[in-house]
Amino acid sequence: MLNASMVVAQKEAVDGLRDVRSVISSLLYALMGPLVVGLVSLSKAGSDGKVIGAMMSIFTLVAAFVGGMNVAMDAVAGERERHSLLPLLLNPVRRLDIVMGKWLGVALFAVAGFLVNLVGSAMVLRMPPLVWLPAALGLLPLPLFAAALQLLISTVCRNVKEAQTYLSLIVFLPMGIGMFLVFFPAANRAWCSYLPVVGQQLQLQALMSGGRVPLLGTVALGCLTAGLALLILVATANRLQRDEIVYGN
Amino acid sequence: MIQVQNLRKSFGRRTVVRDLTFAAPNGAITGLLGSNGAGKTTTLRMITGVLQPEAGTVRIDEAGGDASALDRQRRLGALLDHQGIYTRLTVRENLAYFGRLRGMPPEVLGASVERVVRTLGLEPIADRRTAGFSQGERMKTALGRALLHAPQNLLLDEPTNGLDVLTVRSLREILRRLRDAGVSVVFSSHVLEEVRALCDRLVVISAGSLVAEGSPTEICARAGTACLEDAFVKLTTAETAAC
Repeated sequence: MLNASMVVAQKEAVDGLRDVRSVISSLLYALMGPLVVGLVSLSKAGSDGKVIGAMMSIFTLVAAFVGGMNVAMDAVAGERERHSLLPLLLNPVRRLDIVMGKWLGVALFAVAGFLVNLVGSAMVLRMPPLVWLPAALGLLPLPLFAAALQLLISTVCRNVKEAQTYLSLIVFLPMGIGMFLVFFPAANRAWCSYLPVVGQQLQLQALMSGGRVPLLGTVALGCLTAGLALLILVATANRLQRDEIVYGN
Repeated sequence: MIQVQNLRKSFGRRTVVRDLTFAAPNGAITGLLGSNGAGKTTTLRMITGVLQPEAGTVRIDEAGGDASALDRQRRLGALLDHQGIYTRLTVRENLAYFGRLRGMPPEVLGASVERVVRTLGLEPIADRRTAGFSQGERMKTALGRALLHAPQNLLLDEPTNGLDVLTVRSLREILRRLRDAGVSVVFSSHVLEEVRALCDRLVVISAGSLVAEGSPTEICARAGTACLEDAFVKLTTAETAAC
């Protein structure tokens, strides 16, 4: 029932926006990359544009995971901790619809964090909209995937503290992948472009270093990433069916 | 009307509900009585469909025993032991969220929220965010959520835990009004005083099994005791010894 998912998504969005501290911390992270790199590039005349672009790409990749992190940990682990998940599950709504709604709510913040960072980076690099806008569209499955993964982890956790521990660790995944590809470009193989997260890092690196992002590759990677996100959402809904979801606090 | 037949549930090797059968008729408050860990909460959770029974059926109103959990949830209102509410939403927003989840049209939802706010005396706090609410205010908000769609069947799991005397009395009054309106109310508790004050019928369970069913007077007569407390101890101790 799409309607129920939208009701859940709307509630998550309102709830998330009212958590002012989380919104500010996500926004600060999203802006940190462009600000830091902007200051560094201004202060060091003749800086290597390729290295700066590569560093910015890591910030953008991580921004997709940071934007919705607080909302994700609150969406299920927070509900378990506050004892509001059971009342939610008492409603005649399928678990998959609840998960889809929560995912849409988390994804809203993840996409916002990702776009704020990407647009900020594009401004620092003086990139024309005709270059970054299509790339941004092609990369949108990344924050959607990040939101799905974070929601699954939040569903496994019993409280916000536990979720915070695991979700903070998950942020190291894109950070590690990004740094590895920046410092060891020789490790890159053709098939790496089709791996979720790795492929997006390569695209961001190319975009921010002034290179080309192939359209077909972007579409294929986007479909693969979105497909994986969907599978994760189904796994999350299955997880919500288990007995320990309503016990174990 | 709620009819439970041969309900069974285990967690691992531990069976917590064993072939439990009872009925909760309309226009009556049925008390589910048992000591801590007797299986009351698990039974209520199976009735609401959040836990799947291993065996047995739950029939609500005219819906058959094979009705899906979602069908049962449409016919039920429940205030289980978890009274969590959303602290960044106001009382009205909390209620409206659950009404929308149940697919209530906007005009019906608005009127229902106002009815519940009025019935439960929530007017002074209805537009306040619920963070920092007292136990009683949280319970009333959670009860409002369970009553919003005017269910014909209402399940309450130890709703008076941690409440002050005035709030308990006001809750009893609300439940009696619902009973008089023909609602089937199932009320679980291990506090005998509370059960005696409120319930028309009792279902006594021990170690997941039914040990007695009937009015408080009938239960006392069956146990051969003058007071309910003695009857409860006699019945549940005998059952535990038999296990």
